[in-house]
Amino acid sequence: MKAFPKAKLQEVLKTLASKGTLYVPALVDETHRYYPYRADIQVSLEQNSAISPKEIFFPSTEKIYNFTAYGIDGDYEEILPDRTACVLFGVRSCDMQAILCMDDVFLTRGYIDEYYATRREGATIVALGCSKAGADCFCSSMGLNPVEHEGADAQLYDLGDYYGIQGRTEKGEKVVEALAVAGLLSESSAEVLVPEEFVLQVDSEGIAEKLQAMFEHSLWDQLWRKCINCGTCTYLCPTCHCFDISEKKKNQHCGVKIKCWDSCMFNEYAMMAGGHNPRPSKKEKVRQRFMHKLRYFPERYGKYQCTGCGRCIAKCPVNLEITDVINQVREAKVNG
Amino acid sequence: MNSLIKEMQALAQELLASGEVKGVFGWTKGSRWYLTPPLFIQKAEDAIKLHYDEFAINNLTSLLLDYRNSDDKIAIFVKGCDSRGILRLIQDKQVNPEKVLVIGLPCPGMVDKEAVKDQRHVHDLPLLRKCQECRYPNPVLADRTLGDVQVTKEPGVPIGITAERAIQKGVGSKGKERYQEVKEIEALSADEKYAFWQKQHEKCLRCYACRNICPACNCRECIFESDKKGWVNKAATTTDNAFFGITRAMHVAGRCVDCGECERVCPAGIPIMKINRKIMQDIDELFGTYDAGTDLEEAGPLNHFKLDDPEEFL
Repeated sequence: MKAFPKAKLQEVLKTLASKGTLYVPALVDETHRYYPYRADIQVSLEQNSAISPKEIFFPSTEKIYNFTAYGIDGDYEEILPDRTACVLFGVRSCDMQAILCMDDVFLTRGYIDEYYATRREGATIVALGCSKAGADCFCSSMGLNPVEHEGADAQLYDLGDYYGIQGRTEKGEKVVEALAVAGLLSESSAEVLVPEEFVLQVDSEGIAEKLQAMFEHSLWDQLWRKCINCGTCTYLCPTCHCFDISEKKKNQHCGVKIKCWDSCMFNEYAMMAGGHNPRPSKKEKVRQRFMHKLRYFPERYGKYQCTGCGRCIAKCPVNLEITDVINQVREAKVNG
Repeated sequence: MNSLIKEMQALAQELLASGEVKGVFGWTKGSRWYLTPPLFIQKAEDAIKLHYDEFAINNLTSLLLDYRNSDDKIAIFVKGCDSRGILRLIQDKQVNPEKVLVIGLPCPGMVDKEAVKDQRHVHDLPLLRKCQECRYPNPVLADRTLGDVQVTKEPGVPIGITAERAIQKGVGSKGKERYQEVKEIEALSADEKYAFWQKQHEKCLRCYACRNICPACNCRECIFESDKKGWVNKAATTTDNAFFGITRAMHVAGRCVDCGECERVCPAGIPIMKINRKIMQDIDELFGTYDAGTDLEEAGPLNHFKLDDPEEFL
């Protein structure tokens, strides 16, 4: 396999950054997320980023149009994202799978989100195989291979002192070619490092089907009791994609419409115009979150909407673990 | 510690079996050795699930807000720091003291799970900074106590069966240095301070974990819940985030019970307690030493007016 020495990572990144925007997982002000590469940035590939790369395609806040309104006269001016190419470097299998989930939502079934599509089309994803499972990782339990993901444009493998690289798509081959042209690649026959057994494991087989008969199950009466209904799980989740359109007004005549992340954990989320809230308490909100991940999404798109990245488990203020929920669903008795 | 856990289980079992309470908030052992998350039980037979150790860091008191409209009496286990949250809720008239049974526990000092190096094997972990700075290791209010702890409104050293271990680990050893981080920020120039907080607020995800875990954030409807009023909006920009962060800090000013939960739960790692502690320090300097949530009869300097209150700003 073609490979480059880990010691030459900076040169590799510089080469890729010279072709366009390059996003890398890095530590800035103690926050581990994807940032545009700069020579002085502290790149961190030791473990997965704390904030998922979804924000590159689906930012937490984006302006969608400016508007003016004077009586019945009004006008608007669309604000569309730039059609520039970018490379995402070091995306783990869990986050690659999550991007495919987001693709399902924003690009299929007769609806295309132009904002997402524009950013996504221009992106080349260079995935990075994991050689070590994080404390809260459980991707292998969700049917993923931590070492590689077929959805990536190019795949990096941990070979010890080297990173192996394979192009999978035309865009991915271009990345490999750019590195070859820069004289950074050599041949390596070293074995791909694989993670040892995961600490967190769960059997997710058949959970979507079992949940079909569990909407009214007593399990939900207990699960919500410690939840504080914050948005941590949903905002750290690489697949949660809910948003709300609201506005920032400059004055009574003009302003900007904004599209912001929203969370099914929040009270206003399901609030209807007349003031009725079909998910009034924590119970309904918690049920919705897990039902969406483990039943509705698989029903609609044929895959779980949880990829085992473990971010919600790591940061949930009350340690409400989706793996525990899956176990409880598995053990639950269903009448009839 | 095992005898204390047995006491907790026996008491919870008895309270639920007799029907004295309809539910009990405590902790249980989590999926890994370094996790002891919250647990709510309603059946006497579930009492054996209760657990308590140096990972039982969650302050459970804000969870009582889910029962504020309920007629059911709920029991809740509290450490010293947590117990101040109960006072907060009672003083803010969010919890009817008749409807809550507070069970005070001795605190062994909580350790830092962020320092775990081996997920599979138990190893020693450092005491949390907030526990080093702890001044109220014993419950300030409790209807029952276990493990020989004593209720006291005054700052002090750990009491009860875990006291020796707690003191040995350094619980309260840095109580006098609790404003150290505030002083470090105060030493910065205005521009540096601004840059520091801008960087912090830039990280905010607006997940509201800080607000929702907080016993002082007990408004029935938070202004940040709704943008209909046009005062705030959902944009997670640095400016809007700062508006949220500062508004929250000012709203809990004089009411923050110093449990540090907001900072612990922040997924973005914003040092929220620095700003809360700054306000506490200001209150101490302006009105004399005051610790919120320690005395049920004491309204707090920002909640009433005295003719000799300082008014340098006039």
